[in-house]
Amino acid sequence: MAYVALSEAEKTFILHGVEEDYRCDGRSRRDYRPMELETGLVSNASGSARLRLANTDILVGVKTEIDVPHQLTPEFGKLEFFVDCSANATPEFEGRGGSDLAQELILSLKNAYESPFAFDYRSLCLIPGQQCWKLYIDILILECGGNLYDAVSLAAKAALFNTKLPRVTATLLDAGITDLIISDNPYDCTRIGIETVPLLVTVCKIGDFCLVDPSAEEEACSTVSMVVAVSQRNNEAFLSGTHMTGGGSMHRDTMLNCLQLGLSIGDYLDKLLVKMLKQEQERVGPKRPKIVGFLK
Amino acid sequence: MQTLREFTRKTKRGNILKIVREHYLRDDIGCGSDICQHCFQNDVYALTADHDLQSSLFKYPHYLVLDTNVVLDQIDVLEEDVLRNVIILTTVLNEVKHKSSSIYKRINEIIHDRRRNFYVFVNEHHKDTYADREPDETANDRNDRAIRIATKWYDNHLKSSQVSKSFQRSGRQVTRVVLLTDDAGNRAKAEAEDILVATASEYVKSLSDHPLLADKLSHKTFANEKQALPQYPPHLSLREILEGLKQKKLLQGSFQASRENYLEGNVNVEQYEKGILIQGRESLNRAVDGDIVAIELLPQSEWSAPSEIVLEEKNVYADDLPSEERTEEEKVMLQQVRAAAVVDAERTPTGRIVGIVRRKWRQYCGILQPSLIEDTSRHIFVPADRKIPRIRIETRQAATLQNQRIIVTIDNWPRNSRYPHGHFVRSLGPLGDMNTENEVILLEHDVPHCKFSEEVLSFLPKMPWTITPEDYAKRVDLRDLYICSVDPPGCTDIDDALHCRELENGNLEVGVHIADVSHFIRPGNALDKEAAARGTTVYLVGKRIDMVPELLSSNLCSLVGGVERFAFSCVWEMDKEANIIKKRFHKSVIKSKRAMTYEEAQVLIDDSTQDNEIAKSLRHLNRLAKILKKRRMDNGALVLASPEIRFQVDSETHEPLEVEVKQLRDTNSMVEEFMLLANISVAEHIAAEFSECAVLRRHPKPPTTNFDPLIKAARYQGFEIETETGLSLSHSLDKCVKADNPYFNTMIRILTTRCMMQAVYFISGSLQKEEFFHYGLAAPIYTHFTSPIRRYSDIMVHRLLAASIGADSTYAQLLERKSNEELCHNLNYRHKMAQYAGRASVGLNTHLFFRGKEEDEEGYVLFVRKNALQVLIPKYGLEGTLYLKTDKDGKDGHERAKSTVVFTFSEEDHTQRCGNVVFHSFDPVTVRLSLDSSNVQHEKLVFRLVKPYIKGFSVETGSESAADVAAPPPTKKTKKNQKKK
Amino acid sequence: MAGRFELLSEQGLRLDGRRPHELRHIKCKMGVFEQPDGSAYMEQGNTKVLAAVYGPHQAKGKKTETNDVIINCQYSQATFSTSERKNRPRGDRKSQEFKMYLQQALSAAIKSELYPRSQIDVYVEVLQADGANYAVSLNAATLALIDAGICLNEFVVACTASLSKSNIPLTDISNIEEVSGGPKLTVAALPTAEKIAFLEMSERFHIDHLETVIETAMAGCREIRDILEAAVKEHLIHIGSAADWGRVC
Repeated sequence: MAYVALSEAEKTFILHGVEEDYRCDGRSRRDYRPMELETGLVSNASGSARLRLANTDILVGVKTEIDVPHQLTPEFGKLEFFVDCSANATPEFEGRGGSDLAQELILSLKNAYESPFAFDYRSLCLIPGQQCWKLYIDILILECGGNLYDAVSLAAKAALFNTKLPRVTATLLDAGITDLIISDNPYDCTRIGIETVPLLVTVCKIGDFCLVDPSAEEEACSTVSMVVAVSQRNNEAFLSGTHMTGGGSMHRDTMLNCLQLGLSIGDYLDKLLVKMLKQEQERVGPKRPKIVGFLK
Repeated sequence: MQTLREFTRKTKRGNILKIVREHYLRDDIGCGSDICQHCFQNDVYALTADHDLQSSLFKYPHYLVLDTNVVLDQIDVLEEDVLRNVIILTTVLNEVKHKSSSIYKRINEIIHDRRRNFYVFVNEHHKDTYADREPDETANDRNDRAIRIATKWYDNHLKSSQVSKSFQRSGRQVTRVVLLTDDAGNRAKAEAEDILVATASEYVKSLSDHPLLADKLSHKTFANEKQALPQYPPHLSLREILEGLKQKKLLQGSFQASRENYLEGNVNVEQYEKGILIQGRESLNRAVDGDIVAIELLPQSEWSAPSEIVLEEKNVYADDLPSEERTEEEKVMLQQVRAAAVVDAERTPTGRIVGIVRRKWRQYCGILQPSLIEDTSRHIFVPADRKIPRIRIETRQAATLQNQRIIVTIDNWPRNSRYPHGHFVRSLGPLGDMNTENEVILLEHDVPHCKFSEEVLSFLPKMPWTITPEDYAKRVDLRDLYICSVDPPGCTDIDDALHCRELENGNLEVGVHIADVSHFIRPGNALDKEAAARGTTVYLVGKRIDMVPELLSSNLCSLVGGVERFAFSCVWEMDKEANIIKKRFHKSVIKSKRAMTYEEAQVLIDDSTQDNEIAKSLRHLNRLAKILKKRRMDNGALVLASPEIRFQVDSETHEPLEVEVKQLRDTNSMVEEFMLLANISVAEHIAAEFSECAVLRRHPKPPTTNFDPLIKAARYQGFEIETETGLSLSHSLDKCVKADNPYFNTMIRILTTRCMMQAVYFISGSLQKEEFFHYGLAAPIYTHFTSPIRRYSDIMVHRLLAASIGADSTYAQLLERKSNEELCHNLNYRHKMAQYAGRASVGLNTHLFFRGKEEDEEGYVLFVRKNALQVLIPKYGLEGTLYLKTDKDGKDGHERAKSTVVFTFSEEDHTQRCGNVVFHSFDPVTVRLSLDSSNVQHEKLVFRLVKPYIKGFSVETGSESAADVAAPPPTKKTKKNQKKK
Repeated sequence: MAGRFELLSEQGLRLDGRRPHELRHIKCKMGVFEQPDGSAYMEQGNTKVLAAVYGPHQAKGKKTETNDVIINCQYSQATFSTSERKNRPRGDRKSQEFKMYLQQALSAAIKSELYPRSQIDVYVEVLQADGANYAVSLNAATLALIDAGICLNEFVVACTASLSKSNIPLTDISNIEEVSGGPKLTVAALPTAEKIAFLEMSERFHIDHLETVIETAMAGCREIRDILEAAVKEHLIHIGSAADWGRVC
């Protein structure tokens, strides 16, 4: 991950701030930094979103493909994550420099989305056993300002919300072969249900305390973090996956606290995100919105 | 301003892609009207304020906006020079382009005609007229809306320029904008939006000054047929067809109607070598020759065999309703065919047409059938092409169109109409008139033959044309050489000349000098484009349709005697054995010493008293040519024969006076040899210089199955034809000689010619080297260089050659493989059509020649058919069918009973036997030729047997036979004529 | 040389409604990111590119041996940037090629004598590709370099040009025009000095047209230069307004 050079004194200062529940930028331990989210800005992707969380900048594009369902799950569509750490974020990512971090992110997303309760894979199936959608969630990390997991998962969920799949009707031919006919109306498309789509919340342990949304500097002070995947079902938040990152260790009780904290923050964050997305959608209507993108 | 267009598309691999394109909206697109005071006018084709078209619907000046359906259906009305000040929206243009490329081409031609005041308005990119697609709107609805928006915009836009005080004071009427649409839905919406709107037919009928224009309206229904019962099964929708094709329940192919039997046709389907037979009116289901159709294969038990019956539709009248009786008649015929088929066990896959994938309707030549009722506007049109059904049209000028050749196009063919509906397009002229008939031939063979346009002529050199000193400086001066040309008599477009002289080292210098047409036709200009489109000069009897304007073809380019002309020379140094020692190409100035005919040249060579330079040069050439020819023959070049005839045409009436077979002299062959040599030399050169884009000509080896009829025919005569290589074929052809039948060898060669493939132009980069082979000439590489006046391919070759030797500038298109390939494609097509047109013209003149004549001629049986003999008359190079009656001949049982003459066909040795007379292939016969004019559109030469004499069948050499010809029955003409004997 | 489709309608408009000499809409912004020393975003129609510059800093590894400035570029294309998904963002031949071309063109513009033994990293990320990817990347890189305060001889800008079937040159060709089979000429130029820093051509056309096509691309470069210059001034006024720089510009 992006390297931040901190002196011991700086570290101590951050640590003390966390202990006081008054972080360097004035936040409490449960506070997020301001976020900006825009959807639909990559016009040639089926869905897209850009999330800027302070200095962390994530661009997600969703591309679609027609594929054959996996033999074991003939009624499921497919989902694939791809993370690219752009060298724009830091020269360390040049060439294959960011691939380890990318792999880590892909894995945690994959875990979080793995359960059919977390993501409705059935909705991506066109003809069981024969044809399904395969969604590529391509994540591009443009700038690293800490808390990549949360930012990536938020952007991915927003991009999925934004994704429009053209309406496809299948016709059955002889010998069980099917053919797909796409609707010629660009407005005639299906959306993806995102109610259950999980978010990742990084709970970072600094000293003896846990906090969310660590900045890059705070991450440098932390030895261990807990990434909690939170999925909504029937208006209740569930864990859909979790894993620890970093070299340190934590006590069992701390860990439970972390999970607890992650779950409640995740629940809140998710409801807020969905609310905002829906509001925005209603405001814009079916027409193409004006795109701001990077020109703000 | 800018917006995005989004759409999804399926890729070949089955993936679905989202495509996004930018779409800019502009504010600098002019409305094209000279009334407007606001727009920047960026085009010269302006809509004008003058308006002289009187419409009873819109009694003020107005512009027209056309809906797509009006352009598609009423193109014939639009082509008439009546409607002016028409706005064509790009929305409409794109839809038309998508739906019919031929109509797109035609509407573009109208738009380009400045006098017509058609203006293309780019509404799709205008900021005020762009229509973004709404949710829940089909593509069609959006386009309709875009058309309405543009109409409305135009109307308001023009109004805003016509409200000024000065305009009002001028007292002129306000110009409005009218939408023409045949779509009821669009019309209703337009009315609701306060747009002036009318249907095409309402509008055309409202034009008081042009009552005849209504004839050209396309009709969807005829009043009296609305209630009629459906006569045909319904067609499947396109979607059902596509599904059926995918599921392999249906097959797709192009439909070919039978020339002989109007109730029969064939559909060429990929998997079936012989195609699929379609029989009966319901199975044919309104398909017209050329259409791409979807068919359903019948179960094998219902398969049938081709009827081999000539069945022509009887005359019907426009107001007749289809009678039950006639349908009965068809049933009988079908039953007979099927019954016969069972016996024959020659059944082929049979199917029925269930839908039309794409119509290939075009314009048809023909005549109006005389109507029984006076003063009716409904008529039946009989096309000249027998493969095309009759067409029902509506016209008010039947009286004038009677006895004229006219052109009609099909509009549609509803289920409840026996015939397709169409409308009158134009008249070609009186029947039987030489000009009209030539016009028909040219039209039917798609030969571009209109006058050269002003623009094309503007690129001709200005007269008087002189050779400048710079020209001399750039060219090799060969004016002192004894160059002469040898051509058929009366030839005015001389494109080749020859010379030969002895060099000091004892070798001979031989030069072929070709008219330097590419000097005059510069690449890319209108003249060049026109020549490229025409591709070749077309020769009809007594008429020549030039590829380049006459000033070039018969004057500046033509290498006439005694005049200085530019040439492209190919000069060889040869030893006495005609081995090429050196060759060079250069542009030159020549002065032909004499333009000779083949005959004159022959006389000069043979007359040993002549000892001038020309005679010497010709004798050298003749000797070398013989060596060259022998060498070529030894390589396996084929000597093929096809009967060629010449007409002596009356210069006044253009009617043929005399028919003769073209004579071949040594000199013909002499010129030919050197042209071949030049072509081959040039081909080698340009192929080496331009490995990717040289224009070459190849003649593929025919597949061995092509030779089957030839091998069979020869085998009956006891000869074996080897078709392994060109050489073995050539040798075996040489061996086919019969002492008692001097014409036998020629006939075998005629048959061989028919086994051959068509030679074609191609671009060197598109094929492998081995495929360049020219089979007929046994040359590994070949091209056309020697006739640039009459072939565009030669001009292309000239340019390549000139560029390679630095004699002319290069240009962008020269090396462009793709566009050259397209050109070659067109040339191949034009060539084929020119050949067919030439043959059709010979046929036409043969008929004219025999009009009112009867002649007995010596002929040979070319081959024996089941119910006829194919007879060749060497004197006229004429071939025709002598129908024999066999016991399977049709359904006319009554007449058969009277007849006692029975021919038996033997499958084994292909003979026809009647009593003790046996007809073999190649047997000599004497036939009587006469013209059957019972069908004015299809005059036909009738062959009747004179010798050997068969009682009851052969012509009695008495005098009463002439009477038969005078009044032949209307149908089944040929056979009935014979039967009456 | 002419392609399969006619790129220019008879009414003189291109497929997307532009006239032959018109550029696509250009929008750009400097200083989009905090972390790099310089960054810029550039949009030319639907081609959208982000560029970031790090440096000048001490050269790393082997590269320190030379005395010259090292210009290190990376060209990368987001996997969702094309209509058919790309499998990887970089490392393919095309991006290697573009990387080299970027280095080439930028070397011509950077005042290298000012940065001995230093390295300048230029990273380009194409977010959406709709034709002229290299040209837009270079233009964005120029802006990012300026944002990073690196001395340039002059704006180095690139523009593409093609030739319609009717032999009319077209400026700034879009993806659809690229794939329609026409020729494509890319020129990277120092427009004021009228120097060409880099030139690339694909497909072929007759040499007679080369002159006009290059001139068309050069004219495009000049126009883009003016747009970039205006954007730089705008940016300076914006960020410098606190320091009262606005009056200087």
